[in-house]
Amino acid sequence: MNSSEATMAEHGANRETIRMPIETASPLVVSLGITLLCAGCVTNWALSGLGAALLIGGLARWISQLLPGRGEEEHAWVPIDQRARAIERVDVAIESRPRGFIARMQVPAQVHPYSTGVRGGIVGGAAMAIVALAYGLVSGRGIWYPVNLLAAMLLPSMSEMTGAELEQFDATALVLGLVIHTIVSATSGLFYGILLPTLPRYPVLWGGVIAPLLWTGAIYGFMGVLNPVMNSRVDWPWFIASQVVYGATAGLVVVRSKKVPLRPV
Amino acid sequence: MAVLDHPAENVSPPVAQRAPSWATTLDHKQIGILYIITSLIFMAVGGLEALIIRAQLWVPDSHLVGPDMFNQLFTMHGTTMVFFVVMPMLFGFGNYLIPLMIGARDMAFPRLNAFSYWMFAFGGTLTYLSFLAGGAPNVGWFAYAPLTEYAFSRDHSTDYWILGLMVSGIGTTATAVNLVTTILVMRAPGMSLARVPLFVWMMMFDGVLLIFALPPFTAAAIMLLLDRGLGAHFFDTQAGGSALLWQHLFWFFGHPEVYIMALPAFGIISEVVPVFSRKVIFGYESVAAATVVIGVISMGVWAHHMFTVGMSDALDAIFSGASFLIAVPTGIKMFNWIATIYGGKIRMQSPMLFAVGFLAMFLIGGLTGIMLAAVPIDWQVSDSYFVVGHFHYVLFGGSLFAIMAAYYFWFPKMTGRLLSERLARWHFWLMLAGFNLTFFPMHIAGLLGMPRRIYTYSADRGWTIWNQLSTVGAMLLAVSFLFFFWNLFVSWRRGESSGDDPWDAWTLEWATTSPPAHYNFEEIPIVRSRRPLWDLKHPEDPDWEHE
Ligand code: HEM
Ligand SMILES: [Cu+2]
Repeated sequence: MNSSEATMAEHGANRETIRMPIETASPLVVSLGITLLCAGCVTNWALSGLGAALLIGGLARWISQLLPGRGEEEHAWVPIDQRARAIERVDVAIESRPRGFIARMQVPAQVHPYSTGVRGGIVGGAAMAIVALAYGLVSGRGIWYPVNLLAAMLLPSMSEMTGAELEQFDATALVLGLVIHTIVSATSGLFYGILLPTLPRYPVLWGGVIAPLLWTGAIYGFMGVLNPVMNSRVDWPWFIASQVVYGATAGLVVVRSKKVPLRPV
Repeated sequence: MAVLDHPAENVSPPVAQRAPSWATTLDHKQIGILYIITSLIFMAVGGLEALIIRAQLWVPDSHLVGPDMFNQLFTMHGTTMVFFVVMPMLFGFGNYLIPLMIGARDMAFPRLNAFSYWMFAFGGTLTYLSFLAGGAPNVGWFAYAPLTEYAFSRDHSTDYWILGLMVSGIGTTATAVNLVTTILVMRAPGMSLARVPLFVWMMMFDGVLLIFALPPFTAAAIMLLLDRGLGAHFFDTQAGGSALLWQHLFWFFGHPEVYIMALPAFGIISEVVPVFSRKVIFGYESVAAATVVIGVISMGVWAHHMFTVGMSDALDAIFSGASFLIAVPTGIKMFNWIATIYGGKIRMQSPMLFAVGFLAMFLIGGLTGIMLAAVPIDWQVSDSYFVVGHFHYVLFGGSLFAIMAAYYFWFPKMTGRLLSERLARWHFWLMLAGFNLTFFPMHIAGLLGMPRRIYTYSADRGWTIWNQLSTVGAMLLAVSFLFFFWNLFVSWRRGESSGDDPWDAWTLEWATTSPPAHYNFEEIPIVRSRRPLWDLKHPEDPDWEHE
């Protein structure tokens, strides 16, 4: 087997041949042997016998070719006119763009650090939680109600609960709700941070208004399948308000952070 | 462009003329082509099975094939597509391309490489021999116990399934070891792991995933064989065995398997998209990192296939949450590809066409996947045609569209000839239309309550129209593949000669002749950046000055 150092060494000697493994049927024979060995189990034991013989014979030949000097041969290089030609330089200028511009162009040229997105997402998530809790208090359903609705996404048993049960404190639901909320807020924020610089012009408008409305629309459409419990009980005006608060807060954090140039590659 | 082009009379002789002996070859390129051709044959067979399935479902109360034959057909179709088509096709491209892309002369273990191919070919054949021996496997590609126990499956068909997959599985494990070793130790001077092409990156991680996921499956298969043949009781519920154990072992392999089929496809896309957008890939590091994250998470979500078996609420919740998480790294990759296209100087040639098709179709499959990860939805639509629609968007839309991009991209490398763009366009548009017509209606049929794996249905269910749309779509798909096969055939014989570097690409495989000599490179190239060919072509503005 040739490590790259060995080939470099060969090359240093400028030889016109190279050592390559000899063609051999032993891999085929060994695998045919194994297959017949197995096939015999469902047909006729004689086949297994034949398979075992092939397996042993093939292996013996295979191993013998691993001995020094037995399994390799000198291989002549193809004639000169069939070899790859040396690669020629080309002019980098492509059409009217600056030299090398297209081929290495990164869009966008400046981005927010990824960490900002996560930070924005968490701050936005906190703001959103405040809105949700305010809803719980204002509606008189209590602060555990929105948490339980969120947890119902992962806890199928909650779909059988009555409204009153959903207002009670439930430790599992609280932990699950917190986990879902943190992960979703942080990852959405991450995407936010990555995507905002690629959107045209008004980042605050995109981040604060258009994007939250877009995804609220999408959630509205999918809620029935994503979280049926939530769907049947959600108060949509409050829900939309909390989404917009999230979007605006996260967007603000991201937009106000300093952009860094993308490292060109 | 056209820096490497030979004058037409200098095209190297096609592969066949170099009189290779295919049975004894150890050349990674020939073995790659063997893989590719064999898997194409299996693809035709698996496709034919799909067509018969669709023909059977064309009208209510159909008796075209009957229930038992139907079970054999969907079992063999699924088994074939997963084990004998998509995986070996990807290994074929991996085998052909990886040594070239990393500037090596061959794989690390050339004999083991040949052995892997033959194990796949014989394993597939053995599985199909069951048709002659009284009946093909009829227990689904997941072979759920206790249906597969001797009490319920008395003929040998299930044994064929176990043995055939064991044989090909040994080959696959060997391939995985070979891939990882090759990539770790055979790279050309200067090609650090941070400089290998993303396709190579993903194939390496694919090997790692296989090494983790396959042994439990092989163990499970052997346990089942012991149950059936020697009266062991691993999965025998009558004697204290556990049917759930089979499901855990199977899906511990089966779910990562989806990513084992998808990661190399992602790798193909990560090679094709930059070249045809004339831009470097956006965020090389994050694509590579997302690969690792996807791989790791995918090992921990297998039980989302088991929400309906009655695990505890807590387990359901954990596996559901972990499944949602996969959307994040996958989303990052999607974003990287789109950002690479964005603002690029796009050439909509056939490889790019299929790459864009991949992006759109895989997105749909990913979205329905997120829906299924929600336990309440899964309880509603599990084992319905909704699921069949979903996984075909992932496997066919995800893997196969990318593999088609690979064919159009690398065929010139393998043969020195271009595939016809005109036929490619026919292929693409028919495939896109046929694909969506086949698999989109399945979502609707599923929501209307049509269970999967039923051999027929009555007319009053309201499923007829959706099934008929699917069947028409499948016929369209079949026609699209005729264009593909015809293109391969005629272009291989007398396609336009491509020169060595038809796409003005940047990775090392284009630095040698098309097709390459047995030993790949006369001179092992020295690598200084992620785009070694760019550096060679643009000495006054090389990449390494910017890295
Ligand atoms: C011409 C294209 C295809 C058609 C029309 C088709 C259609 C079908 C149908 C009707 C089933 C039976 C579903 C059931 O009754 O449960 C099925 C199953 C399956 N198909 Fe395909 N298929 C096609 C291509 C593919 C491809 C390319 C793959 C893989 C990459 C694939 C993978 C599978 C798998 C894994 C199953 C197993 C289903 C199960 O778990 O029961 N199919 N296909
Ligand atoms: Cu899965």
